[in-house]
Amino acid sequence: MSRSALITGVTGQDGGYLAEHLVAQGYEVHGLIRGQNNPRATVVRRLVPELRLIEGDLHDQSSLIAVLEATHPDEVYNLGAISFVALSFKQAINTGEITGLGVTRMLDAIRLVNPAIRFYQASSSEMFGKVREAPQNELTPFHPRSPYGVAKVYGHHITVNYRESYGLFAVSGILFNHESPRRGLEFVTRKITDGVARIKLGLESELRLGNLDAQRDWGFAGDYVRAMHLMLQQDEADDFVVATGETHSVREFLELAFGHVGLRWQDHVVVDERFLRPADVAVLVGDAAKARRVLGWEPTVAFPELVAMMVESDLRELSAPLSPAAGGRR
Amino acid sequence: MPPPHPALPGPDPGGYSRSVPAAGRRALVTGVTGQDGPYLSALLLAEGYEVAGLILPGESVPDSVPAAVHRLEGSLTDSGSLRAALAEVRPSEVYNLAAATSVADSFDNPVAVAEVTGLGVLRLLEAIRQADPGIRLLQASSAEIFGGATTSPQDEGTPLCPVSPYGVAKAFAHQMVQHYRRSRGIFAANAILYNHESPRRGTGFVTRKVSLGAARIARGLETELRLGNLEVERDWGYAPDYVRAMHLILQQDVADDYVIATGRTHTLRELLEVAFSAVGLDWRAHVVTDPALLRPAEPGRLCGDPSRARARLGWAPTREFAELIREMVLTDLAGIDPVASLSDPAGAAAPPSQQPG
Repeated sequence: MSRSALITGVTGQDGGYLAEHLVAQGYEVHGLIRGQNNPRATVVRRLVPELRLIEGDLHDQSSLIAVLEATHPDEVYNLGAISFVALSFKQAINTGEITGLGVTRMLDAIRLVNPAIRFYQASSSEMFGKVREAPQNELTPFHPRSPYGVAKVYGHHITVNYRESYGLFAVSGILFNHESPRRGLEFVTRKITDGVARIKLGLESELRLGNLDAQRDWGFAGDYVRAMHLMLQQDEADDFVVATGETHSVREFLELAFGHVGLRWQDHVVVDERFLRPADVAVLVGDAAKARRVLGWEPTVAFPELVAMMVESDLRELSAPLSPAAGGRR
Repeated sequence: MPPPHPALPGPDPGGYSRSVPAAGRRALVTGVTGQDGPYLSALLLAEGYEVAGLILPGESVPDSVPAAVHRLEGSLTDSGSLRAALAEVRPSEVYNLAAATSVADSFDNPVAVAEVTGLGVLRLLEAIRQADPGIRLLQASSAEIFGGATTSPQDEGTPLCPVSPYGVAKAFAHQMVQHYRRSRGIFAANAILYNHESPRRGTGFVTRKVSLGAARIARGLETELRLGNLEVERDWGYAPDYVRAMHLILQQDVADDYVIATGRTHTLRELLEVAFSAVGLDWRAHVVTDPALLRPAEPGRLCGDPSRARARLGWAPTREFAELIREMVLTDLAGIDPVASLSDPAGAAAPPSQQPG
């Protein structure tokens, strides 16, 4: 019998990649979708035609119970979150509700409906925030610096708590930044590659950014969803850091992205104070040794390749304005 | 507090005075009906504060809450009620003592606990930021945020490691308080409170369960006392000492977090020893351990290091463990009328507890 999975946050970057990966592994895949006429449903449906969408909301525990009863998943991947750090400063309570409490609502729904369901929680390197050591591993203490980070720490702790107290197979994947051509435009990597493509095509002349010295450990989202799936195939539930172990600054990203189309970033980038976060995080770099050892996981896309892939994709989309994928973006 | 100009139209009877008191300070206390709320209210009133207490709609207010405390309805689950309370009281200090406080119950109601104990604090922080970012906030944080700590004693730098839904929610609140202090410039401080007890402790807590049990057995109303794990070790202090620390924390120049603890732990077994010998009994003859009362996950050895509070606040606990427990047992004993004991509210009204601590 084929296995069944439920993905929350299926319309996000990782949701699409994970749905594709699970479909390829022979799963029946359900995606939780919020609200009526959610425009992002169309996009993910086109991306993964086999995906079955079902309505439900991390705000509403009874909707989660109903969804679990209707879809009978063997595995639940909780990718649903208000995932944009800057937005979490403006909508702290909503972030707490969805990114934090939403995890408890889903875990508790699993406990009530079928405690044999395996649960994956998308935790984040933002939990480390003002880091106490580098690189960060599964034992590094958390010191979150944003409402998003605090809510993710809550989600992590409650996942561990359901594993230890109720015996659920619940794991927390501590994922460092992972990007792709499908990254939302509000994230700095995609903002840059989109900006580079626009500047190259003569649609814009400048790109406004915040802190260019911010350093991140950036991987490829397609690699990271493989790790999520692997975590739920183990004999024992455990938490794993997923990262490349390399850091690069926004400046280096700019260098490669503009360089890819033969431009100099210094001619186009304007530093705008408005984009500086109230409290920016220090150097985040993950130590994925445990994932490598236990899961046999390795990243396959290196940083320069990732940047080139994203710039190429944005150039392609913006040069073909009538293609459905670029609809509304210009 | 009487209005300063009785000839002028005063506030509504029982309403909150619009005049600024001599000290000019007003405090809003959430969770005012709990163990700590009445102690804290009494202390603030004695310091010259005007005190308002937030009570849940329809909640009954125990006699221990001083009459001078102005009562306002509101809930941490309702942002609008918090904004309204801040607008009405215009406090200079807010003490957030409200929470779903039973660790054991939190395993049955993790979502509800998170709504109040976790997210409720964020709602309060946001309400303060929007109403008046000059308001100082004292968050009653808890040793349960260190539940699974591998080091002992714990201090303000110990990594958080909660092991119950209650602890996880308190950890969320703790870190949000830190976030609003560091990134939003709010004078918000965590008092990391270790267990603190008193004769007013709720009967669901193990110390009170024991003191009441010992008193009832001594009065011949019961013969046994059912408990969970007797080896649990806690750092038990005296509640009035702890509310004093809360107040001191908000009087500092700089907001910071403080561990409030005695620095000494005792086992439940030792607690039984002291409590039963206070009424001349041997606990071994009466205590039954019941596996149904064990928690799904028990925190490790929670012992706080209050060095920072001692150094900066000049705070020190005043009550010894044995003295505290004896006081609790003797208060419970006095509350049970030896003649009319079967109809006595202090004893008979207390429901049998399902909670080990």
